[in-house]
Amino acid sequence: MERTNAALALIPLFPLVGSVAAFLVGRVHKRAAGIIASLASILAFVWTAKLFAAMSAETVLEDVVFSWFGVASLQVDFTLRMDALGAVMCLVVTGIGSLIHIYSTAYMAEDDSVHRFFSYLNLFMFSMLLLVLGGNLLVLFVGWEGVGLCSYLLIGFWFRTIDYAAAGRKAFVVNRIGDAGFLLGIFLLWMNFGTVDFLELEAAIAGNMTLVGLCTVVALCLFIGATGKSAQIPLFVWLPDAMAGPTPVSALIHAATMVTAGIYMMARMDFVFALAPFTLAIVTIVALLTAFVAATTALLQNDIKKVLAYSTVSQLGFMFLAASAGAYWVAIFHVVTHAFFKACLFLGAGSVIHGCHHEQDMRHMGGLSRYMPITFATYLVATLAIAGIFPFAGYQSKHAILGALEHNVNPYIAPYNSWIVALVTFTAFLTAFYMTRSLAMTFFGKYRGHAHPHESPAAMSGVLVALAVLSLFGGWFLETRLPNFLEHVLAVAPGHASETIVESLLHSWVGIAGVVLGLLFYTSLAGVPGLVFSLFKPIGVLFQRKWFVDELYQAILVRPLEGVSRGLWKAVDQGFIDGAVNGSGAVIDTSGQVLRLTQSGQVRHYALWMFVATIAIVVFFLVRS
Amino acid sequence: MMILFALLGALVIASAIGVVALRHPIHSALCLVLNLVGVAALYAMLDAHFLSAVQIIVYAGAIMVLVLFVIMLLNIKVEQPHRRGIILTLLATLAGVCFLGILAPLFYRGLRGFTDHSSKIEGTVEAFGELLFTRYLFPFEAASVLIMVAIVGAVMIGKRHQQGGSK
Amino acid sequence: MIPVSFYLTLAALMFTIGVCGVAIRRNVIVVFMCIELMLNAVNLSMVAFSRTVGNLDGQIGVFFVMVVAAAEAAIGLGIIIALFRSTRSLESSEASELRR
Repeated sequence: MERTNAALALIPLFPLVGSVAAFLVGRVHKRAAGIIASLASILAFVWTAKLFAAMSAETVLEDVVFSWFGVASLQVDFTLRMDALGAVMCLVVTGIGSLIHIYSTAYMAEDDSVHRFFSYLNLFMFSMLLLVLGGNLLVLFVGWEGVGLCSYLLIGFWFRTIDYAAAGRKAFVVNRIGDAGFLLGIFLLWMNFGTVDFLELEAAIAGNMTLVGLCTVVALCLFIGATGKSAQIPLFVWLPDAMAGPTPVSALIHAATMVTAGIYMMARMDFVFALAPFTLAIVTIVALLTAFVAATTALLQNDIKKVLAYSTVSQLGFMFLAASAGAYWVAIFHVVTHAFFKACLFLGAGSVIHGCHHEQDMRHMGGLSRYMPITFATYLVATLAIAGIFPFAGYQSKHAILGALEHNVNPYIAPYNSWIVALVTFTAFLTAFYMTRSLAMTFFGKYRGHAHPHESPAAMSGVLVALAVLSLFGGWFLETRLPNFLEHVLAVAPGHASETIVESLLHSWVGIAGVVLGLLFYTSLAGVPGLVFSLFKPIGVLFQRKWFVDELYQAILVRPLEGVSRGLWKAVDQGFIDGAVNGSGAVIDTSGQVLRLTQSGQVRHYALWMFVATIAIVVFFLVRS
Repeated sequence: MMILFALLGALVIASAIGVVALRHPIHSALCLVLNLVGVAALYAMLDAHFLSAVQIIVYAGAIMVLVLFVIMLLNIKVEQPHRRGIILTLLATLAGVCFLGILAPLFYRGLRGFTDHSSKIEGTVEAFGELLFTRYLFPFEAASVLIMVAIVGAVMIGKRHQQGGSK
Repeated sequence: MIPVSFYLTLAALMFTIGVCGVAIRRNVIVVFMCIELMLNAVNLSMVAFSRTVGNLDGQIGVFFVMVVAAAEAAIGLGIIIALFRSTRSLESSEASELRR
């Protein structure tokens, strides 16, 4: 590995400056905010691309911006570092981010506080870039918290609606729970190794089998952090609610970039996870459950964004599955392709919502392919991609995930590999099915709404086309390049044998089946879904009500907490603490009233008291001597 | 010598009581002048010649003239006896007696065997001035500043407020 | 030669009389004069001590007390005039604004 210095700080600096400028200028001139923010984002992308073009797979670019702080033996520099993994993430963040910025200039044009929106969006870019470029855990954590903050701000962007503000708060609180675990992990690492720098940690830990016990605990803590940020069971409940934010935000933060931070972090700390097979087994189970539960929930959602949200949770489960099988590059591969097609889907949904005048319920859509052909075409491409059909981007990454799971060597998991693969395959089928359902309900059949749908402006449709192209060719392009590029940073499993097109088409039978069934159910055989639903009513209700997870949390966490808080409030706070406070006040008040009697206001009396006190002092010294 | 001291002491105490006891402020002030002159004489007996002179000039001269001037200016009448004043008088007297009672054994104990260097010093103008302008130069200058400030302050306080003026 | 304790006793008596005056009298000018009485008592004791100790430092102290007394007289009388102007009386019992 070669470490070279480079002006990495510029990458996050562009959006940071852009954030401030967009806010200040945008207050005066609304349109300028979007332009400034987009420009800052594009500049960051260009600079990243320039650095990327000059680096090889083995390069590690480094930039110690300043010495951050030193406490006792801990000396922390504000280090930015870009290796192959960081470069890939950086390109995705700035690339997709720039596209979404451009899209937003049209989507948010009519909003009153555009400057706030773009300022937050750029601030998010800044934090996310810190996260992926951070050279040690603390810089990463700053970015981690920064994206959490921006996520909160943007979910609650329309904070005048109480529900939206509450959704933002929920995201923040749930993330905080995960962050506590993450912080514990960082503390543990520092306590044992005295450093938080990735390279130093790797040198100290990698391959040291005596550290298995410690690494199991640390990895578990880190994974708890990841479940919060990347919406895994049990902390995934915030992500569906996060759809309260503007749609570009959902695309950028809650699909393409921020939610993948957990996977990035896991890949970054792969040397810890490599020594913690037990934790990896837990990750596998959690991810599998998440992928399945979210996919089933998505089956019966009517809000187009909710479908995509649950789909995102499910896909994140896929990524964690890959990572837990040790195939980190596959996880990153899926992060990238998912960023392409999920951003495309979300922005397509945004285009639909925009075109239908803020209608989000798919029951009031339908037949939109006639009104918005570009949106339809791109949405179709992205749907095929997420369904995992050759040659679209999702196929290669999903195929790689299945391959990795098949050859999982984790001692705790290996015996059940075939069961896991079967369940994941079924989930992939469900994915194809529910995405086709949303496609059919939105674009096929007759229009069921009352608005006058129209195609979106060029800034939006152009971005959609760009993302559709990426969804179409991205997987094929990256399939062999990505593992070669990442092999010096991440453990890359031996690549699977290249296959012919026919084989690939055969391998995508799951997706094709899902799509065909979905098309049949929601176009020509329109009665069937209702029939199936009534046949399996209990299960259907379970899916429809999101597995009652929110209700469960309400019952086992919120209610008891509320009860205890109420008790503390009434008994301890009002009775004891308020009593003590008011009591001490009353005591002082009463004693003041009594002492007031000694205050005559007469100078003579005071003089006399002074004299008496003098006598007392003299007596005191006399007695003492 | 002892006789002179006894006379002066009686004068000083009597005039001090007069200051407190006499109803009319003018009488009090004149008693105080008498008292101050007596103390000045005592200074002289203690060989503090310069202080004795200053006592007469500054205290009995300047300050008392100022007090008398204010009394005349304000045209003060005789203080009327007050009912609650009697209790206070008794209390104050009691406190005073207590104070003296406490001090008495102190003097008795503390001053026995106290060596007296009475012959060695003399507070002449020359000795006094030398000390004042060498070791005590800084306090001396500071005192002049204090006097200055006091003058300015007195003028500010005494200034008659303008009609309807705010300051 | 008169013993120092005689002077000190005299000073203590004078001081006590001054204190009692401050406590008893209601006329602020008389109170002021009583304070002068107390200052004088202290001065007398200091001069006596000065002779006992054998140097002039005590007398220098007395000198500065006189300076301060002069300043105090200027300010004090100014305050008395200001007080008289606002209350039309010199009763110290009238000046109890702070209590109300």
